[in-house]
This record gives sequence, structure tokens and C-alpha cells, in this order.
Amino acid sequence: MLRSVFGKTLWDQRRVLASWSIGVTAVGLLYAVFYPTINTPEMADVLDSFPTGFLDAIGFTDVFSAAGYVGSTTFGLLGPALIIIMGAALGGSAIAGEETSGRLDLILAHPISRWSVTLQRFAALVVGMAAAAALLFVGLVAISDLAQLGEIGVANLAAASLHLALLGIFFGALALAVGAATGRPGLVYATVAIVGVGSFLGNNLGPTIEGLAWLRDISPFHYYAGGMPLRHGLQLVDAVVLFVASLVLVVAGGLLFDRRDVAV
Amino acid sequence: MSDVIRTEALTKMYGKRRGLAGLDLEVRAGEVYGFLGPNGAGKTTTIRILLDLIRPTSGRASVFGESPRAGGPALRRRLGYLPGDFTVSGNQTTRQLLTHLGFLRGGVPASRIADLAERFDLDVSARIGSLSKGNRQKIGVVQAFMHEPELLILDEPTIGLDPLIQQRFLELVAQARTAGQTVFMSSHVLSEVQQSADRVGIVRDGRLVAVEAVETLRRRAVRRVLVQFDDPIPAEAFRDVDGVSHVEIHDTQLRCRLAGRADGLLKAVARFPVAEITVEDPDLEELFFAYYRGEEANDAA
Ligand SMILES: Nc1ncnc2c1ncn2[C@@H]1O[C@H](COP(=O)(O)OP(=O)(O)OP(=O)(O)O)[C@@H](O)[C@H]1O
Ligand SMILES: [Mg+2]
Repeated sequence: MLRSVFGKTLWDQRRVLASWSIGVTAVGLLYAVFYPTINTPEMADVLDSFPTGFLDAIGFTDVFSAAGYVGSTTFGLLGPALIIIMGAALGGSAIAGEETSGRLDLILAHPISRWSVTLQRFAALVVGMAAAAALLFVGLVAISDLAQLGEIGVANLAAASLHLALLGIFFGALALAVGAATGRPGLVYATVAIVGVGSFLGNNLGPTIEGLAWLRDISPFHYYAGGMPLRHGLQLVDAVVLFVASLVLVVAGGLLFDRRDVAV
Repeated sequence: MSDVIRTEALTKMYGKRRGLAGLDLEVRAGEVYGFLGPNGAGKTTTIRILLDLIRPTSGRASVFGESPRAGGPALRRRLGYLPGDFTVSGNQTTRQLLTHLGFLRGGVPASRIADLAERFDLDVSARIGSLSKGNRQKIGVVQAFMHEPELLILDEPTIGLDPLIQQRFLELVAQARTAGQTVFMSSHVLSEVQQSADRVGIVRDGRLVAVEAVETLRRRAVRRVLVQFDDPIPAEAFRDVDGVSHVEIHDTQLRCRLAGRADGLLKAVARFPVAEITVEDPDLEELFFAYYRGEEANDAA
């Protein structure tokens, strides 16, 4: 673990990663176990009373099937929200956070390039996201019978979890890139918040507004959930798009990092 | 090329603020170079340029004949660096940190780490967060020296170290010098530099204003002399003695400063019965501030 920046980063973050993974899983499961109580005629009346525009905006669709319910709650709202915040925290600390706390000087003075530090920190972020999503997946499989989620199937739960990890990786990459380019944690969190909320709304509302349909095509949420992995399994093209976009962000961040001064 | 570090008209602007204003520096292979200057003079700026942490606005810097930027990791492999503000995560033990940093440099034997830790009386199994400031600084010193680099760049290395450990540090520097390593260290504390350095450069307002061999400085340095006589002495007895200045006579006591040869003063003192004589070691500090006063006088003129 101590041999590389990658290993050391994971080692240093072991507690943080465990907390995030448990948090994401706990919240995700907490929603999922309520499926049996929602799947009733009374709830249908309640939901009918909301304007459809509102339900679209928060991504609630077809909540009476197991896939629809879990897709709207665990994987629709709170899972993504938490995983994005996790991405901002991990990606932001990877370079900008280290820099403002004055720890980056020592590492960069070693025989290692800034590129290598950037990529190894990104690799650690990928592992962290995978761990959080994996734990959620295991948790969902474990409560599958209790929560009557059997119809979704293990493979589709795995696919949705993988998509969630990729969404976290994308926003983590965004945070890492902004941090690498500027060294400013404040800017990192602001960017992630704006892009996160903007792309969530853009994906859900874009198609309903004349002339804004393209918003959906550039929204990471479209590639995260548009293909409905809970119903249709892994969406390979979407997954690749998310990962390649993440790599592009990291490379852009690395390029700018290599050119600038490191703050003390 | 025998210059290990060389800068030419090195300039760094932080926005509108001056970091360096045309610094010309030469550090020769195998020497210990003390880089002195007051707060804000540009010492840290210079050092961080040498490590390619920041890039100069204009001018040139080279380390082992290569620009820090072009030299990249291969160049940094030959360096040991102690940052001016040594900060690491407190959530690890000293051994974990040093092992990790050792790996980044291609591996440092555990015995070497243990040996250095022992010299500095450092408990490698303690969590860094639980260590005192001085003990943390020791870790910084150890990591800079542990891989026996050709060039050590140390930014205020003795900050926070107690006198005993400072002495150990100076021994380590002396050993590095004997082993042919080059040491470039910044300080405002001249006393630590005069003991270990071959040459000192004085930086002020982003420029190098003086470079001297420590020997020369010592010879030129001013000693403080205090003489206690048995009887009151006449006020004019030490006027116009060679090398003597700042004469103060109070009853049976003479205070003065002596520069250069002591002969004139001794012969003048010998005319009266002497009870006690104290000569303070030459202090570069005096000379350092002399440089300053000179500069300020010039500025005012
Ligand atoms: N990141 C920065 N942004 C703006 N100005 C800076 C920055 N870093 C240094 N400076 C300015 O550059 C000048 C030189 O600073 P530097 O840190 O090199 O001084 P120093 O000789 O190391 O001082 P000290 O003895 O206090 O460590 C100072 O006037 C300082 O205010
Ligand atoms: Mg400094």
C-alpha cells in the first residue's frame, strides 16, 4: 500500500471511504425497504395528486414496479446525490485540498510527475467509487426478498450499481480536474454543485421544454439512468461515454496542473 | 559544469507582488551554501523554483545544468528537499510516511531510516499527529537526508529544533559535505549557518546582495569586547585605537567593538591593570546587519 501514491491515497482514505460506502448503502437500503408500503392503491392516489411536471422534475416515474421505485428513489435521487457529494469530496481533496493544506509540495518534490500524481489519485477515486457502489449492490441483493425487489434481478441491480459508480467517477473526475487546474477547493465544490443540479434538471426537464432537448444529451444523468439499467441491464455505450468523459476531464485537469504554480 | 545550482536574473512576480527581482546565484558542487535573508526576501520562492513547484516569470534557473521544468522527475531523483513548512497528514506513523516517501524515491533501506531516527531521537512508531512541532520537523530532516541525494535543498531546516538536535543536524550536514553532497540551506539564523557553511549568500528584496566565504566573514566580523579594570580609566584612553569602535567607558569598565587585528586594542588595554576581559565570538549577525545598515544608508542618500 505504501509503494505508490495510488496505494497510499487509498490507505489514507480507508476510513473516509468506509464511511461513505456505508452511508450511501444505508440511505439506499432505507429507501428500498419501503417499496412494499408504497406499492398500494392509497399511495397511487397520493402520487396522482402531484402535478406530473413536478414528478418529472424530481425523476419519479413508474414507482409501482420494483425497478421503477428503486430507480426513482435509491438510484434516482439520494444515491446519485450522495455519490456526487462523495465525488466532490474525494476529487476535491485529491489535489486542491492537499494543496491548501500545504501537503502537496513534499510529494511533488519527489521524482514523480504531476501527471502521475493526477492519474494515481484518479485511480484511487475510481476504486473508492467502485467500493461504495459494490457495497450498495451487496446490500440490495441481501434485502431483495424482504423488500420484494426480486423482479429486478441481480444482474440489473449490478448494472445499476455500476452506472452509479460511473456517475460518481464522472463527478469525482470533474472535482479532481477543477482542483488540479485551479487549486481552489471552493471553486471545486461550486462547480460540482452547479453542474450536478444543472445536469439533473437538464436531463429530466430538457426534453419537456421546446428547444432544450439537447440538454439531456449533454447531461451525465442521461448516460447514468437514461437507458434504465435496472430494467435493461448494463448500457455499455452509456457507461463508456461516462468513463471516457471522466478521462477527458482528468486529462484536461492534468494539462492545466502541469502548467501552473503550486500554492504553498 | 561544476555549478550545481545556477540562476541568472531569476525573477518571480506573484501578480503584482515581488517574489524575486533578478537573483543571480551560483552554488558549487560539494559546498554547503547558506542562503540568508530576512522575512519576505525571496528564499522560499527561490527554493520552490528549483524544485519546479513554481515557474519563474523571467530569467533562468538550472540544477545540475538542467532547468527544473525540463529535468522533471529524473532531476528530482537527485535531490532531497525539506519544505519551509513541513506539513504531512497526522493520521499515519512516522515509519509509514518515511517508508512511502522512500518508495517514491526508488527505495530506502529500513536500516537507514532507523539509523537516522535514532540519531534524532525520533519514535518512528508514533502517530505523527501526536508529535510535537519539533519532532515533526525532525521527520522533515530525516526524509530529506535518508536517500543520500547529491543535492540537499533545505528551507529553514532548524526551525523548531532544540539546541541539541540542531547540533545533530549540523553534524549530519557536515557528514553530507564529507560524502561529497552539496547542501543549499536557507535561514535567518546566521549562527547556524556560520558553523556549517562554506559560503553564505545574502538575499534581500529578491536580489542577492552579497556572497562571501564564511572564513572571510569571520575575519571581517566584529567582536564585542568588555574589559574590567582595577581602577577608573580616563575617558580618552581608547580614542583612535586601531580597529576599535563604539567605545563606552563607565568608571572602571570598557565596552567596545573590535574589527580585524586585536594588537592595537591589547596594547592599549595593557597600559592599565586589568581584572577581567571578555571577548564575544564574532557573530555574523553583526555583519549581516552591517550590510543592511549600509544598504539602507545608500537608499536614503
Ligand atoms: N503565493 C504568494 N502570493 C503572493 N505573494 C507571495 C506568495 N509567496 C510569496 N510571496 C511574496 O514574495 C516575497 C518573497 O517571499 P518568500 O516566501 O520567498 O520569502 P522568504 O525569504 O522565504 O521569507 P521567510 O523568511 O519569511 O520565509 C514576499 O514578499 C511574499 O509576500
Ligand atoms: Mg520562507
